[in-house]
Amino acid sequence: MNYKPDEATLIAYLYGELEPAEQLKIEEYLQKNPEEKKRMEDLSFARTVLSSVQDKEVIAPPIILGEELKVKTPFWKENYFRMPLGIAASLLIFLIAAKLVGLSLTYTPGEVKIGFGEKVKPVQEPSLTEQQVGEMIHSTVASNNEILKASWMEDRKLLEQSIQKNLNSNSSKIDKLMQTASAASQEQVKQFVGQMQNDNLKLMKDYMQLSSTGQKEYIENLLVDFSKYLQEQRKQDLQFLQARVNRVEQNTDLFKQETEQILTSLISTTGTNQKRN
Amino acid sequence: MMHSDVLIVRAREGDKHAQGKLVEVWYKRIYNFSYKFFYDHDMAMEASQKTFISMHRNIAYLQDAARFRSWLYTIAVNCCREELRKRKSDKSVSLHDLGPGEHEDSYHWEKSGTRGENPERVLRQNELSDLLQECLMQLSEEQREVVIMKEYEGMKFREIAEALNLSENTVKSRMYYGLEALKRILERRKITQETIGYEL
Repeated sequence: MNYKPDEATLIAYLYGELEPAEQLKIEEYLQKNPEEKKRMEDLSFARTVLSSVQDKEVIAPPIILGEELKVKTPFWKENYFRMPLGIAASLLIFLIAAKLVGLSLTYTPGEVKIGFGEKVKPVQEPSLTEQQVGEMIHSTVASNNEILKASWMEDRKLLEQSIQKNLNSNSSKIDKLMQTASAASQEQVKQFVGQMQNDNLKLMKDYMQLSSTGQKEYIENLLVDFSKYLQEQRKQDLQFLQARVNRVEQNTDLFKQETEQILTSLISTTGTNQKRN
Repeated sequence: MMHSDVLIVRAREGDKHAQGKLVEVWYKRIYNFSYKFFYDHDMAMEASQKTFISMHRNIAYLQDAARFRSWLYTIAVNCCREELRKRKSDKSVSLHDLGPGEHEDSYHWEKSGTRGENPERVLRQNELSDLLQECLMQLSEEQREVVIMKEYEGMKFREIAEALNLSENTVKSRMYYGLEALKRILERRKITQETIGYEL
């Protein structure tokens, strides 16, 4: 049987608050579990010790259990009266203050004015009539037009003078050129063309000569460089061959020495064997 | 008991005399519950007075007269917790600094009655009582409430559960662990069956 009561059941058993059947069950369980029994005995001891705490003697103090005393407050101290009274008093103070400082509030559509003291009327200055303004604009425009007109006239005069001057100087130059051209004959033209052809021919010759000399120099340099390169290559090849030949010679010498050693050892071995025999 | 029920019914109907009588009947119990909870006379007085003022204000709402006891202890526990919170926030007085020896300045109605017993035995009994009270103070608040209600107020687990608004199993569990903790505290203080046997 794996019955194991929980703490609640055990404590109820300790205080005798269990049903008789349940109580018997616990007693059986405690009989079978001495450890649990010891624990219950300890708890029981704690209970016994607790019972040593005695009650304090005390006499009930006089507690007044009557209706709570309501102190009748005058109506002006009641909340429902005090708040409107406060608002009214504030308004009154505001009005008196406004009267003393001469506060004036004016409201017109789109404008609120708050002022203090006496009202000062604004000084009305005589203003211009519409006609006067029109005349002033008209006279200003007219004077501007006159100034502009004078300026334009002056500019125009200067421009005309400059054009005239240029025309005079250019026409005299053109006239001179036309005269020179017309004075030149067909022979002179031929001579001029012939001279021009000769000049061109000479220029071409010079150019060709110059370019052939350059090419010649370049090819010469190229050939020299190539021969130098070949010579260098040949030298390196020879050095390489020389090194290989040297190595072959060394190997041959080594081989020779080894062969000699082997032969010497063979000879000495045969000599000793013959002596023994 | 019938007499008590009648008192409760009358008090609920607003009978001041019945209410006064209830205070008279229950004051010692509530004071002792509070005293064991605080181990402090002034705090116990304060909590007791508040409990009965609250009882007076709310007794009209008590539905079932048979539940008066658990209802009254609910008020008492709440007053004690409130008082404890107030004291903790004040931090002016430590519970352990205040022994019960400060009764000298108490009012005449608070003075304990003298007993016609052997003074030496009374003294020893008082010392033991104080020692155990100190042990009780080492329990947690929840365990202390349950242990006091069960051990000193003789309430059933069902009543305690009702007063504390907890399940019966929770109350039993708190009681079990409370007693276990108390046993350990007693052992630490070398209070065993052998050392204390002669006192009990």
